[in-house]
Amino acid sequence: MSSPAAPTDAPVLTAERLSVRFGRRVALRDISLAIPRGRIVSIIGPSGCGKTTLLRCFNRMNELASGARTSGAVHFAGMDLYGPDIDPVEVRRRIGMVFQQTTPFPKSVFDNIAFGPRASGFTGDLQGLVEEVLTSVGLWSEVADDLDTPALELSAGQKQRLCIARTLALKPDVLLLDEPTSALDPEATARIESIIRALSPRYTIVIATYNRWQAARLSDLTAFLDRGELLEYGLTETLFTNPREARTESYLTGRTQ
Amino acid sequence: MTRHKRRRDPVGAACRVAALAVLSGFLVFTAYLGFAASRGVGIDVLRGASSGAVDGAGMGPALAGTLWLLLLTAVLALPIGIGTAIYLEEYAPRTRVTAVIESVAANLAGVPSVIYGIVGLALFVRALGMGPTILAGGCTLAVLALPGVIVTSRTAIRRVPEGLRLAAYGLGATRWQVVRNQILPAAGSGIVAGCCAAFTRTAGAAAPLLVLGTATFMSFAPQTPAHPLTSLPTQIFTWATRSQEEFAALAAGAAIMLLLLLLIMNLISALVVRRLSGAAR
Repeated sequence: MSSPAAPTDAPVLTAERLSVRFGRRVALRDISLAIPRGRIVSIIGPSGCGKTTLLRCFNRMNELASGARTSGAVHFAGMDLYGPDIDPVEVRRRIGMVFQQTTPFPKSVFDNIAFGPRASGFTGDLQGLVEEVLTSVGLWSEVADDLDTPALELSAGQKQRLCIARTLALKPDVLLLDEPTSALDPEATARIESIIRALSPRYTIVIATYNRWQAARLSDLTAFLDRGELLEYGLTETLFTNPREARTESYLTGRTQ
Repeated sequence: MTRHKRRRDPVGAACRVAALAVLSGFLVFTAYLGFAASRGVGIDVLRGASSGAVDGAGMGPALAGTLWLLLLTAVLALPIGIGTAIYLEEYAPRTRVTAVIESVAANLAGVPSVIYGIVGLALFVRALGMGPTILAGGCTLAVLALPGVIVTSRTAIRRVPEGLRLAAYGLGATRWQVVRNQILPAAGSGIVAGCCAAFTRTAGAAAPLLVLGTATFMSFAPQTPAHPLTSLPTQIFTWATRSQEEFAALAAGAAIMLLLLLLIMNLISALVVRRLSGAAR
């Protein structure tokens, strides 16, 4: 873990009074928090608390779901991501996302990595870019000899590393990881965690995870969500050793209320 | 270890019997047609004219008419039907209007084909002044095929895993890039299979074409869609209603030709489906 984020760290993403509804159901209520640049931030909380919804607010993925309504603001690099002139496609190219389900496209390893750059009109050295991002997730040595291998033939851990690599190929400023290791065995999980640590100085990383110990191991800051509300947000060490809220303490200690 | 005891499976046995019965039915039906056709139908029947006289009567113009109709139906119904399915699944917001369109398409797929003939007669033959031509027939069959194409294409698109869509959007793809690069390749085999089923219904439809008005005599194969309407199913109907035994043989021969045509269509579709399934894997 890098050194704890000082409260004065410049935020790269800021949510202000963010609320999300799906039809009548309120998924997030009045969330305000700032994500400092270059840090790892974990969002933890019980199942259904709104972790994924909050993560998806940061790259406007929620609006793909029918009936989703977002209010409040998310500021990124000085602009309101939900402003009328903002193209959500452009937002998703700068704020990349890896999903809980490992879903490589039914194409070759090379085409999986090349998908994002091609979609955004990349005209540089694609081969070099593929090698660079596969190297950064430790996959290059395993697939270098046959980039035409169908991605679906990789192991579960390799598939998730491929999914991280294809997001990195867009050169995003922020990386959103939604339960990135929930379907992986301990060995593959450890590998992904070490990749996340290695990426952290270059990328701002936000992870939604049901695994509180993963949050403790990885993140500089942790946010605790419960029933769509942000109950507590601060330095991971402080939150885990001295939580302010009784509900946070109950969740962290495994007691139910 | 105890000896494996064979379990009774009455449902499985019933299904096997049902499948065998259907297969035997098909074989008997085809054999009957073959036997009927063998009594008086030669290869020259493919060249002969659609005629009310037994001598020299053949299915050449009707076969060409059906090929024209299939081509027109494909050209008109596929882009519109698949496009509508893509719009409804990937672009349209879930509103009452789209719910009504979805419901109408699903219900129209079950409407008897003769109703389409009445609509085609009023709209294409009369209002649009096409007359009883192959073009009017093609337009009518396209309308007949549309609901089936829309419903089956939508089903195939809906079966594409949501994760694939999200992953593509998450990588900054535009809606069209998601549709072109992910949805269509993944749904392609289902769309082709579904469209083929809808086409099979269309290719064998006689009722709507009879309502439009088909030519009873035609001495040469149609060269353009402006040619008077003729087709294999209507030719079979015309011959089957005649009292002379020779016409029964001709009708059976034309029915075999129609079956052959459908078989070829289904084989091509199966090859395309297999190829697309392999590519999507």
